[in-house]
Amino acid sequence: MKRRYIASLLTILLIISLLGGCSKRDEKRDPYRIAVITMMQGGEFWGALKNGARNARTETGTVLEFLAPINESDYEAQIAYVEEAIAQHFDAIILSPSHTSRLEDVVQKARSKGIKVVLADTRLEKSTADLFITADYVQVGVEMAEHAFSLFEEGTPIHALVLGSLPNSTSMTSVVSGLVSTFNAHENAKIAYATYSFTDEALAKKITENTLEGDQRVNMIFALEENTAHGVVNALPKDRDIKLISFGTTQFEVQLLEEGVIDALVVINTFNLGYRSVKAAIDLLKNNKPVEKMVEHALVTKDSMFSEQHQRLLFQTLL
Amino acid sequence: MARKTQDWSIKTIVTIAIAVVSISFTLIVSAILFSEFSSTVRDNATVSTREIVRQINANLSYYINDIVSISGYAKDLAKQVYPLGKDEVEDKLATILSSRQDIVSLVLFDLEGNAVLSTSEAPLRPPEEITAQKWFNRTIGGEGNFYFTGPHVQQLSTSAYPWVITYSQQISYSQENGEMAQGLLLIDMNFSAVSELAKNAKLGSTGYVYFIDNNNKIVYHPLQQLINSNIFNEDIDSVEDYIFGTFTNTFEGRERLVIIDTVNNARWRIVGVAFMDELMSGLNQFATVMALILILCIIITIILARYVSGWISSPIKELERLMVAVERGDFSEPPTVKGNQEVEALSKSFSLMILRIRELMDDIVKSQELKRKFELDALQAKINPHFLYNTLDSVVWMAEQNDTEGVIRMIAALAKLFRISISKGHDIITLGEELEHVRNYLIIQQIRYQGKFEFSIEVEDGLQECPTIKLIVQPIVENAIYHGIKYLQEMGHISIRAYRRKPGAIVVEVRDNGVGMDEEKLTKILSFNASHTSKASGIGVRNVHQRVQLYYGSDFGLEISSELDEGTLVRIVIPEGESIHHIKVVQP
Repeated sequence: MKRRYIASLLTILLIISLLGGCSKRDEKRDPYRIAVITMMQGGEFWGALKNGARNARTETGTVLEFLAPINESDYEAQIAYVEEAIAQHFDAIILSPSHTSRLEDVVQKARSKGIKVVLADTRLEKSTADLFITADYVQVGVEMAEHAFSLFEEGTPIHALVLGSLPNSTSMTSVVSGLVSTFNAHENAKIAYATYSFTDEALAKKITENTLEGDQRVNMIFALEENTAHGVVNALPKDRDIKLISFGTTQFEVQLLEEGVIDALVVINTFNLGYRSVKAAIDLLKNNKPVEKMVEHALVTKDSMFSEQHQRLLFQTLL
Repeated sequence: MARKTQDWSIKTIVTIAIAVVSISFTLIVSAILFSEFSSTVRDNATVSTREIVRQINANLSYYINDIVSISGYAKDLAKQVYPLGKDEVEDKLATILSSRQDIVSLVLFDLEGNAVLSTSEAPLRPPEEITAQKWFNRTIGGEGNFYFTGPHVQQLSTSAYPWVITYSQQISYSQENGEMAQGLLLIDMNFSAVSELAKNAKLGSTGYVYFIDNNNKIVYHPLQQLINSNIFNEDIDSVEDYIFGTFTNTFEGRERLVIIDTVNNARWRIVGVAFMDELMSGLNQFATVMALILILCIIITIILARYVSGWISSPIKELERLMVAVERGDFSEPPTVKGNQEVEALSKSFSLMILRIRELMDDIVKSQELKRKFELDALQAKINPHFLYNTLDSVVWMAEQNDTEGVIRMIAALAKLFRISISKGHDIITLGEELEHVRNYLIIQQIRYQGKFEFSIEVEDGLQECPTIKLIVQPIVENAIYHGIKYLQEMGHISIRAYRRKPGAIVVEVRDNGVGMDEEKLTKILSFNASHTSKASGIGVRNVHQRVQLYYGSDFGLEISSELDEGTLVRIVIPEGESIHHIKVVQP
């Protein structure tokens, strides 16, 4: 009897210690590896996203690998990076797909291998990823349009040019749909042209020049990406008052905002996007429920640019 | 399982007692130890955290003093614009700045916002934009006024947007014409120079240090970007009322150690935040080890308790076992139990008691035996006088007839008879001797009842030496003569036969062809009822039966069958014992 008591006690102890040992993954010795695949290597937008991701890395001890094509429209390269991430057995992939349909197969493949996929900023048309974190781009479009109306005197007819970056990214299509619906509800306002620059500054300049030359009525331009905005600015004729609302936080854009060339800048808190994507990926890996919340955005004007809130958003990468 | 405590075994009680006492003692000691250790760890953590915060504060104060002293130098230079000239003064200022990476710009404005002295190469913003800024209008008011801003994007020129901390002070300077005027000195420090001071301070593994100004606005926070994005909240409220000090509170589910210190010259406060769970992580390890040791101690205690209780209780158990054996009647061995003093004493007393009981029982057996002997003797004694009287009567009669030979035979037989009867006081004689006794008796009776009967005695081989209690056959034969043969007209015959009957019994059969008995009489005799005293005929038979049964037990005794006018058959059944020697009463 005595031996049996001792034996059972020891067994219980053993079980407790084993349970304690295996219930938790030792994140210090074996950290999660996450691939962050953005659309493009450079740029303020993606830079802030990476910065946010790095902040989350510092906090959690995760290993991050940043992968991105040189050109934003190069979805083939993105597919290759996802394949690479699968081959290297990453625990999770954070992806901003630059094409709504072409990356579906490879994302499904990654998920079937047990890799958690978090889509950041843009999503895929059909296949569902584990999580999608983005800003409310439709609302962004609505706010842009409403701000545009406020720039003109009542009754002035508005002919707008919308210049997006990629035709096949959901962020673009959402902004455009927001713009279109708001314009449609407004008298005298019309989106006359909508096209895409494929983040090519030169192409953006060319399109702007051609459009402005061909149609003297165009008095409003929406540039939905920072490189595109640079192209548009370079194409603006001195003799015409053309209002411009653009995406981005480049120093050039900020200066133009202060100079009054750009009337408003749309800033997406991509730092937050990057940070939350990494945190969400870790939550998914740990089987915790990640926070589902839209990433905030702001429309910054010359008047508000040095306000405490907006200066932190606008100059975040300089901090 | 609802057992009362008194039902528990000594072993259980002792085990529980030892276990409870020592486990609770161990628990109390560990609790005290743990609380002592944890308070020590806490104190140490607090002290070391406070030390880090103080160090950062010292560095920051040193840095700010440095800035103030540069501003002092700049103030001196500003007074020397006349006669040194603006360019020379600017050169001197530029020299200072070239050795200071952390100072972004140093500018002296007049009260309208025009730059008087500037180290900045980029063109400055128009005066109306300069004067509109906070650091400008906050400082204006009197000579000596100074102001430290929080981090902000500097708007001196339109070509750069650096994050800076601005130190501004209203000073007097000499204009180039020699007149003194009021102006505003601005020193922009790179924000990273300040943030570097606190950035690498790690309190615990994720604790941090941040600065707040006198309006409780964050000057620097390592997680500023997370705060901007509303991902992280800082607990400013609880710090608001403190100038310096240390406290712990719980914010967003984590216990924090907060250390506040005031920075000299800047109206800033430095706040160190460390997380208690991280500071105490060593304690968790200690607790785990302690818990393991505690469990081990408890296990050992229980084993020890069981061992000790076993050592105490096993002799008692052994004693109990012996007592139970005694209870069942096994007195064979006096118990000797080895164990502790008390149990050994108990065992000794018990064994003495057993010995005493054994003595008493032996005494009882002896006295019982004695009593039986007395009874036997008394029964045997009943035979003799009656027979002796008759025999001597016959001898007298024969002597009167001068039948000398008859007298001799009679007396000789009588002598033999008595010899066996007396048999040196032995109760047990051989069957041969018993039958010899009967033969002598029959010889005497044959002489008395001349020609009235004849007899025969047969003994199976090997039974001559078998033991028997004496004088059991003679009374039966006596009965056969007096109650059977005596009333017979023809020749009587008494046949005596001794043979074996299985298993292990000897039968001595006495058969006569006398008058026999009717059923009623037979039943009366067979009942061997002691209270039946009507006729003498029963006495002898009952006497024998009782004696046989007294001596050999109820399995033995007499069997009688009789038929009227046919005769009577009496079987004396006794056990067959080991052969014994003759008592040598019969002389060869």
